[in-house]
Amino acid sequence: MQQDIQILIGGEAGQGLVTIGQLLGKALVRAGREIFASQTYHSRVRGGHNTFAMRVGAGPFAAPRESIDILVALNAETVELHRPQLTKRALIIADAAFAPELPGAIAVPFGELGPEKLWNTAALALLGQVLGLQEQQLYQAVEATLGQKKPELLEENQEIMKKSREWAKAHLPEHDFVLADATATADSTQKRLLLNGNQAIALGALAGGLKFCAFYPMTPSTSVVLELITHAETMGCVIEQAEDEIAAINMAIGAAFAGAPAMVATSGGGFALMAEGISLAAMTETPVLTVVAQRPGPATGMPTRTEQGDLEFVLHAGHGEFPRAILAPGSIEECFTLTARALALTERSQSPVFLLTDQFLADSARPVTPFELNGITPVRPGDDPEKVATPYRRYRLTPDGLSPRLLPGLSEHLVVADSDEHDEDGHLSEDYGLRTAMVKKRLQKLELLKEEVTAPTLEGDQDALLLVCWGSSLGPVREAAAILRDRGLKVGTLHFSQVWPLLPEQFLDLLQKADRVVGVEGNATGQFARLIRRETGFTIAELINRYDGLPFTADFLLERLETQRAETGDR
Amino acid sequence: MKMEKVEQLRHYYLRHDKKFPHVWCPGCGNGIILGSLIRAIDKIGLSKDEVVLASGIGCAGRMPVYADFNTLHTTHGRALTFATGIKLARPELNLITVMGDGDATGIGGNHFIHAARRNLNLTAIIINNQIYGMTGGQYSPTTPYGAKAATATGGHLEHAFSIADLAVTAGASFVARGTVYHVPHLDKLIEQGIRKNGFAVIEIMAYCHTQFGRRNKMGDAVTMMEKLRDRAVAVKDPGAAGSPGTAVAAGASDTPGAAASAGALDSDSLDTLDGKFAIGVLTDVEKPDYIAEYARLRAASRLNAQNAGNAGK
Ligand SMILES: Cc1ncc(C[n+]2csc(CCOP(=O)(O)OP(=O)(O)O)c2C)c(N)n1
Ligand code: SF4
Ligand SMILES: [Mg+2]
Repeated sequence: MQQDIQILIGGEAGQGLVTIGQLLGKALVRAGREIFASQTYHSRVRGGHNTFAMRVGAGPFAAPRESIDILVALNAETVELHRPQLTKRALIIADAAFAPELPGAIAVPFGELGPEKLWNTAALALLGQVLGLQEQQLYQAVEATLGQKKPELLEENQEIMKKSREWAKAHLPEHDFVLADATATADSTQKRLLLNGNQAIALGALAGGLKFCAFYPMTPSTSVVLELITHAETMGCVIEQAEDEIAAINMAIGAAFAGAPAMVATSGGGFALMAEGISLAAMTETPVLTVVAQRPGPATGMPTRTEQGDLEFVLHAGHGEFPRAILAPGSIEECFTLTARALALTERSQSPVFLLTDQFLADSARPVTPFELNGITPVRPGDDPEKVATPYRRYRLTPDGLSPRLLPGLSEHLVVADSDEHDEDGHLSEDYGLRTAMVKKRLQKLELLKEEVTAPTLEGDQDALLLVCWGSSLGPVREAAAILRDRGLKVGTLHFSQVWPLLPEQFLDLLQKADRVVGVEGNATGQFARLIRRETGFTIAELINRYDGLPFTADFLLERLETQRAETGDR
Repeated sequence: MKMEKVEQLRHYYLRHDKKFPHVWCPGCGNGIILGSLIRAIDKIGLSKDEVVLASGIGCAGRMPVYADFNTLHTTHGRALTFATGIKLARPELNLITVMGDGDATGIGGNHFIHAARRNLNLTAIIINNQIYGMTGGQYSPTTPYGAKAATATGGHLEHAFSIADLAVTAGASFVARGTVYHVPHLDKLIEQGIRKNGFAVIEIMAYCHTQFGRRNKMGDAVTMMEKLRDRAVAVKDPGAAGSPGTAVAAGASDTPGAAASAGALDSDSLDTLDGKFAIGVLTDVEKPDYIAEYARLRAASRLNAQNAGNAGK
């Protein structure tokens, strides 16, 4: 079996490395390849070290690798920074001016190939040649991108691609990165979409019936909205950039009150400002979906890196007691399905629902088969005014806690909401008995949420080593488990794509049965493990935490599993 | 300024051995403003330790990271509130905040108007590049109507407000506007702002060629800077003869004041990509600053307490 290839393109922002990455990705996906693309960038527009990583091979992949097989260095810094990650067989494509003295180094005279602004295209062509891609496949990708926007640039790009290929044919050293049957024409019958997590969230929201999104820009959540904007017109969805996050959440609550399925998208710092609004949504029982794309905190933290540090925050945000649900997708597909589901859930329970992701999932892209739309019913907000009992009471006390939700202006019934405690009619009240009844009514809705909990997924063996994870770490955890299984070990993975509410009957016996349970979390303190203990009494004694700002990889997990086993003894 | 002097200032005031290279795009005007700020502080003769530079988050907000004073790089929108806390606790310190247009008047807009109203002795430098630069070119409260932004792909539907006008209305005692083109003029405005006893706002018209210029086909950094030169019209110092807002056009020199026709100085023109706008000191009024008012109140209550004590004897 051919090993997979990890490519890393590094340089300054503005050098066009994302363009190379995207074009190569497109060409590879069209050629029927599996890829996994992830981007790391600094929170700056130009300058600084940025990378675009792509894993290519038999796949499918759901995580990058730590080591690098092909390094494309657009500046000298890239070579220095990534040298330790190079595999023995690695190739380094770099300008002759700073190509290192290493066996796999290819010193390219970029200056002879064309003007500096096109060096990224030159690098793309060189990469194509290394991988054995057909000339046509790359040209088509370049044409599809440039042809629309800048037809005048097409010619010079094609010229430098040609020159680069010629140069490569004459100068490439021995290597084993030619993709097997890469020259065969791709099977184009199977249509695939190259999407990242945020794009899938936007599409899932639209499929789920989203009609309103308010936001204040905050990395890594902003691209959810940028994707929404491109479809807003066709889908009849209103998007509003607010003056801050406090405004955004309240606008969404207003829109939802009026009958538009609504969401906000933000990251930790912005979500902190939304906490008051979450509480208002809970009190007024207005559905609202909040997407929180996590990045390392506290405060401004590391704006363009990843972490799973806000679970407890999202679980507890907002003053007062009220029910909520938190979904945490583990894959691009789940970003789509769970967002649609979350939108339905917030409407159904008239309670705040959250989608908890992170920069890693937000920015990594993978080809996916077009999503199944069967089974997704766009949200139809509110109840039928013809069917409500009269007199209409917005907060009627009912056994399941759900009161009839009418929309203002659509019937003879007036709709009243109050952030103060209120009676069944929605009018402010200080009555102690009523207060107790209303608190109970709101909390009763947790039972509804519990009926719809997405159960954790178990994969592999159950009773030996069990890796417990949630959200975005699914891909790397499963890959690590597969590698261990190849080595003959018994390993299972248990992934939670819903982290609240938790139903112990769905998983507690699995934890109790396993010989060794290891919690894997992208935070420093094991927030999910703590939550499991709180809810079930089961202590996950062994944790693997990562909180340097980078995502988990199989390499990282395997190394930690190994050293921790040594430390704890063979149990 | 002589080259050796420039070198000296740079070495003395910048964290050149720690924090460089900076994050700003080549050609960004933020560095020019950092230069002006340092020259102004040097001219006034403040020691490094008497100065506190506070900022929020954004390209503009990065400035304190590079300058060697007491610095606070805080959260997005909150610079003025931090500065207020510091000033109230330690009135002898010189507080200068550096904010972007979004930082100061979007997410931080509420703090901004209330800081102006409170009239604490702070200097607020606002770099108005009419866009959210750092996060990728989303529109800001000062993005002109019709302009393109990452979140206004079909042209902006909302209208820009004038930061300087807002500051005047909210009660700031000193309000000036400069540009990154008129540098000696800017040095002076910043110096005046720091010297002013009261809330001083210096709105600096800047450009963001990367996130705003490119989308709106406004050319490179140099072209955008030339545009600022041509759009700016100087007003007479209200302290000098003539009422505020009297136009004496800047023309094409880098020190405003050369003769040319006034043009419209309406703040509406900041809601366009090419209307003229006023630069210079727009408001300079004398009123007791908050610390003085506080001292007065304390003195009065002490006196009351004394009188009450005497009466009891
Ligand atoms: C609470 C919060 N919301 C959003 C952000 C993301 N953010 C950082 S800087 C910025 C805007 C910067 O624009 P501006 O203040 O105009 O400064 P510029 O970069 O243009 O100089 C935003 C939205 C944040 N850091 N914190
Ligand atoms: S993005 Fe704009 S404001 Fe930020 S450094 Fe670049 S040019 Fe300057
Ligand atoms: Mg700005």
